[in-house]
Amino acid sequence: MEYIIHLLILISIYSILSMSLNLIVGYAGLLSVTHAAFYGVGAYTTAILISRYETNFFLTAIAGAIIAGLLALLFGLILKRFKADYYALVTFGLNIIVFSVFLNWQELTRGPLGIPGIDRPELFGFVFKENIFFLVLVGLVAYAIYELIEYVVKSSFGRTLKALREDEVTTEVLGYKTENYKMVTFSLSAALAAIAGSFFASYITFIDPSTFSLDESIFILSLVILGGLANSRGVFWGTVVLILLPEALRFVGFPTDIAAQMRQVVYGLLLVFLMMYRPRGFMGKYRL
Amino acid sequence: MSIVPQLVANSLIAGSLYALVALGFNLIFSTTKFFNITHGVISAIGGYGVFYFAKKLGWGVPVSILAAIAIAAFVGWLTDYFVFRKMRAKKSSSMIMLVASLGLFTAIQAVIAIFFSSQFQTLPALVTGRVEIFGAIFTSIQIVILATTVVITLGLAFIIKKTKFGKAVQAVSDDVEVAQIVGIKSDVIIGRVFIIGSAIAAVAGIAIGFDTGIEPTMGMSLLLKGVIASIIGGVGNVFGGVLGAFLLGFVENFGIWKISGEWKDAIAFGLLIVFLIFRPQGMFKKK
Repeated sequence: MEYIIHLLILISIYSILSMSLNLIVGYAGLLSVTHAAFYGVGAYTTAILISRYETNFFLTAIAGAIIAGLLALLFGLILKRFKADYYALVTFGLNIIVFSVFLNWQELTRGPLGIPGIDRPELFGFVFKENIFFLVLVGLVAYAIYELIEYVVKSSFGRTLKALREDEVTTEVLGYKTENYKMVTFSLSAALAAIAGSFFASYITFIDPSTFSLDESIFILSLVILGGLANSRGVFWGTVVLILLPEALRFVGFPTDIAAQMRQVVYGLLLVFLMMYRPRGFMGKYRL
Repeated sequence: MSIVPQLVANSLIAGSLYALVALGFNLIFSTTKFFNITHGVISAIGGYGVFYFAKKLGWGVPVSILAAIAIAAFVGWLTDYFVFRKMRAKKSSSMIMLVASLGLFTAIQAVIAIFFSSQFQTLPALVTGRVEIFGAIFTSIQIVILATTVVITLGLAFIIKKTKFGKAVQAVSDDVEVAQIVGIKSDVIIGRVFIIGSAIAAVAGIAIGFDTGIEPTMGMSLLLKGVIASIIGGVGNVFGGVLGAFLLGFVENFGIWKISGEWKDAIAFGLLIVFLIFRPQGMFKKK
């Protein structure tokens, strides 16, 4: 039972990551491979504030989201100069730079040693110590984020976003400042990823830089592409499948580390086949 | 004793490793026009090929090197034949091809990790000893790497500029459709470009293996350096990439003179972003 709760918590955290990345990749049509950087900003903000200053978890999550959102605005200033594959490449670089900061700014992050002893969330004296309560909390937050994203993409803002994805020049001619739309979306997406990071830090109670590498960004991207671009439910199911896959492989008898590598093989090849035969993902509403 | 000669030496060695990756990457990009991420893991195949043949099977080191290059070149060709060629036929966008190459990269890297574990491994020595030049210490293998880079660069320059095949490559990179109209089988040419580019990538991976060692994840950082070098030199400009690689080698190694070595990657990407913002066409303007 503990094991199932653990998996459900992971699914909730990764759903937040994949649904928020979908805003950028699926709705705005920008191939961003730097989501793990914002995920890490949230995790480190929570870890540092809780372990050093004993700040309340919910405040740290908000702080993380704000920092990640601002960082994304800064990145947006660089990224607005690029399109398509160059955009993807620059996001690779931004992820690696942020990763270097996690690894090397030792006074703040303790570098490769990581930060231990991160407490569980506390609200009005109630501590979400038991995993089942933690699951309820993160599940609710994930659902709230799902509703928020649905609200955003169905609003006039979301329609403009889809319009600029399909034809940026025309949208601009119609009087929409497409650059601002992209910046706001990128920033919102980063802030949501940071919230996932805060929950991750508090759940595992220990973080180190290795979780927030470029590989993680590629993994989150494949969750989005597998499930379906511009479709939150598709992305959710894609996340469920890819999180459970290594567990299923373990049940069949593969050792843990081999199962993790097998997952890489499976999702790598899935990406190839999808790009060849169905570039919109299984349930997608948009093709790259 | 000044540290500068040693920094120059380190820059040259790093530069030549990046140059090898950039050569193959640029060659493939010039004909296919997409960022082939898989190229990075081909280098790892080269390194692990030598590891398998020389250490596991006990073959001689020179034979192992040749066998490893052949296998890497073959895998490179397979990726084109079974994936990228089909995507070209469908006129897939360069972004879709990038994601597909990312998928292939991930899968092949994991396969290497399954067979050889994620541990860092060393290769048996090809040559031993060290030499001192102008106050900088080179190991013998580093001299071999530098010489190899020069030979491969000149050899590739000869092939591209002087042979009929090279002319065909230039035609395909200028305009695929026109090349096809005048009777050039572009898929065959691109297939061979993948073979040559992958062979050079394997040499880079093997060189790193002899210089430091190999691990399954070596491909991504090596590839990204090659890509940065290519962009600095001008993407698709095969020999601009070589100069870009040496510039990157120097900036990285002198950059860490005053700050710690772990910032190398951040410095490299900082350089890339500066270039993309201020000089997106690279150091040498093509056309």
